[in-house]
Amino acid sequence: MYKLLLSWRYLRTRFIALASIVSVTLGVATLIVVNSVMAGFVDQMKSRLHGILSDVEIAAPLLGEINYPEKHLEIVREVIGDDLENLTCVVRNPALLSFDFRGRQCTQQVMLLGIDDETFGKVTDFEPYLTSAIKKERFSFKLENEGHEAMFDEGGWDYRRRMIDNRERIRKWEEEQQNLYDVTAAGYFETVQEESEAKEEGFHLAPLPTQAPDLNTVHPADPPPNNSTSPESLTQHVPGSGHGGPKVYRMSPFDPGAEHRPPIDPETLFDPMKDQYTGIILGIAISQRKSQTPDGELRDVYMVRPGDDVQVMFPTVGMNARPVSENCTVVDFYSSNMHEYDASFAFMPLSELQQIRGMMDPLTNEGTISTIQIKLKPDADLNEVRDKLIAQFPPEHFTYDIRTWQDTQRPLLSAVSMELTILNILLFLIIAVAGFGILATFYMIVVEKTKDIGILKALGAPSRGVMSIFLSYGVSLGSVGTGAGILLGLLFVRYINQIADFVGMITGQEIFDPTIYYFSEIPTIISPFMIVWVGLGAILIAVLASVLPALRAARLHPVEALRYE
Amino acid sequence: MSDVARKRTIKFDQSRKQKSGRGPNLKIAGQTAMTVKDLYKSYYKGKHEVPVLKGVSLSVQSGDFTAIVGQSGSGKSTLLHLLGTLDAPDSGEIHFEGSRIDSMSARQKERLRNREFGMIFQFYHLLPELTTIENVLVPKMVQDGFFKYLANKRKYKKRATELLEMVGLSHRLKHKPNQLSGGEMQRTAIARSLVSDPKILLADEPTGNLDSQNGREVMDTLDALRKHENLTVVMVTHDDRLAEKADRVIRLENGKVA
Repeated sequence: MYKLLLSWRYLRTRFIALASIVSVTLGVATLIVVNSVMAGFVDQMKSRLHGILSDVEIAAPLLGEINYPEKHLEIVREVIGDDLENLTCVVRNPALLSFDFRGRQCTQQVMLLGIDDETFGKVTDFEPYLTSAIKKERFSFKLENEGHEAMFDEGGWDYRRRMIDNRERIRKWEEEQQNLYDVTAAGYFETVQEESEAKEEGFHLAPLPTQAPDLNTVHPADPPPNNSTSPESLTQHVPGSGHGGPKVYRMSPFDPGAEHRPPIDPETLFDPMKDQYTGIILGIAISQRKSQTPDGELRDVYMVRPGDDVQVMFPTVGMNARPVSENCTVVDFYSSNMHEYDASFAFMPLSELQQIRGMMDPLTNEGTISTIQIKLKPDADLNEVRDKLIAQFPPEHFTYDIRTWQDTQRPLLSAVSMELTILNILLFLIIAVAGFGILATFYMIVVEKTKDIGILKALGAPSRGVMSIFLSYGVSLGSVGTGAGILLGLLFVRYINQIADFVGMITGQEIFDPTIYYFSEIPTIISPFMIVWVGLGAILIAVLASVLPALRAARLHPVEALRYE
Repeated sequence: MSDVARKRTIKFDQSRKQKSGRGPNLKIAGQTAMTVKDLYKSYYKGKHEVPVLKGVSLSVQSGDFTAIVGQSGSGKSTLLHLLGTLDAPDSGEIHFEGSRIDSMSARQKERLRNREFGMIFQFYHLLPELTTIENVLVPKMVQDGFFKYLANKRKYKKRATELLEMVGLSHRLKHKPNQLSGGEMQRTAIARSLVSDPKILLADEPTGNLDSQNGREVMDTLDALRKHENLTVVMVTHDDRLAEKADRVIRLENGKVA
């Protein structure tokens, strides 16, 4: 009884001891805040890292192939058994992407993924990260007119048509200009084939126009007068289109070979106003640039929009790899907010990519692939499945790289976890320093209370009892400090965004810049387990710090203590 | 104040004598309460041995007021500490009611100090954080566990209040020691020493820190209580005038009984 009474009285009358506990409070609060914010960041980062990576993948080496994918899938299904949720085949290869921006050719390296639009979304979190509202719901490689409003002021078919129309006007205007000066190439013959064809047919050059158009009447804004052909009957090379698109010729109205060829059905002709090339989805950061306005605001500039055409160039497979090039129409963007992914990934339909890269087996007509991506049931052990697959495809016989998504991102994940560990150690050191503060304070209190200890002993209090006065004093101080620290930490975490805003407002320096971190606010996760551990650790340190003074109090000789003045 | 205080001091509860479990009949006068045989005790200052008690033998009779008188440095305080088991002798024996107490275990000594001995010190030795009544109750708190104390709290408080009334401090129950005068503090200490109904009271210069007026009051209180509670009292003092009141005076000189 006297122990509780006395430690309570000491607690109430010695506020300086509370000051020594403030460092415990601050340490505990900091630990909770740091752990919660780090947990939030790691969780966000993991879900983003995991986003496009499947749980486990079997990958052929870069530019390599997995032959007989159906057979492989069968084996994989058999090996994994019940843990398997879904799997998909992917062709992955580096590629060059080029697009036209304000008349300039921009070329960038991308990682091109040929994906199966049926199964890819079931294996990875692909669809939620698309920018188009429509594609998020129902994924396809078709260009939609709607759904891009969230990201772009315009995009889709209307934008595509407008841009083609614009370019057509400019092209025609340039053609007019060309006509004025280069009359011999007056736009009647465009291709070598035509010319040679024409020569074979004994065609003679058309007479030169006798009168040049009036220079002053031509403006780029006005559509140039169309003297020989109408846009509908023309099939054009759209600027930026390469050799991969539908092969079209520009025909002269005086084409003498026309009657020998089968008549061209305008419905089957490629019309960029109505048709799209192979759909492609680009990582948002590929075509995005951040620019700063003079006011210091960040602004995104998009060089490509949905509806624009781009060209991708990549090597074919096999021994005699050669570059091939393909026209694609951007149908959407992929924005996972992981810059690493957003700046490098581009997605194409699997079958198209297999065709173009020559991955079709002529005998079975089955396309080879480069990666099998596997999604497992939520509670499956990734490493165990990976080991099973490695046992099935041993590295002695296969060139495959079999890894979990964590293996793929191991450097980053282990760096983050090491960072967290070190931070925890450092912060616990802070609490340990606080522990030494408690030790010193308690020692002083024991010295101050020497006479009281002597009195208690003279009145028959056992050493154990005297010791427990100071131990319970330490425990109660530690608990008070820890409790206050937990409360403070939780409050801080709860209102961390408001606090960041407030500090930003006062200092004029934005603490948390969403454009840098890609988070709209600071993510936090409070783990009760972590709080319990931090609390117990802090109380333990306080108790340990009070053990030494308490022992000293217990060992005091009553006569010596009473003589103490 | 002294007259008022004295009047209050005299106001005893007469019924207590009968109620008390151990009345005067149990303490047959002349029976030996405490015997000391050939006690030696030295202190060490560095390597130098300073002998304080050099073979002290004495006995204390039950119900007696024994005064141990000596010059300062004669070892009388040390002797009292040894009697109160606060310290252990180098050699010699101390017997209390027939059993040897100097060789007891720490636990037994604690029990003895808590229940059988009451102690009063020159510097009062009250706990500054506790009120008067709490200070009086400390031996009871030490004696009982948490729940037992709570169960008996009412009884203990009644007894403590009674004792404080006897020493004339019923109006000071909720005061902290720093709000009390020296005499009041010593009287609180006397009440504390009596709260667990001890058999023997060991007083170490109880008036040594008080002026003569307050000292006399304290001595009167002590004397009245002694008679009322039928206590055996051993008092250490250097003041021969105080010793005059004692039934028996033992003079200590140079570490030996003179």
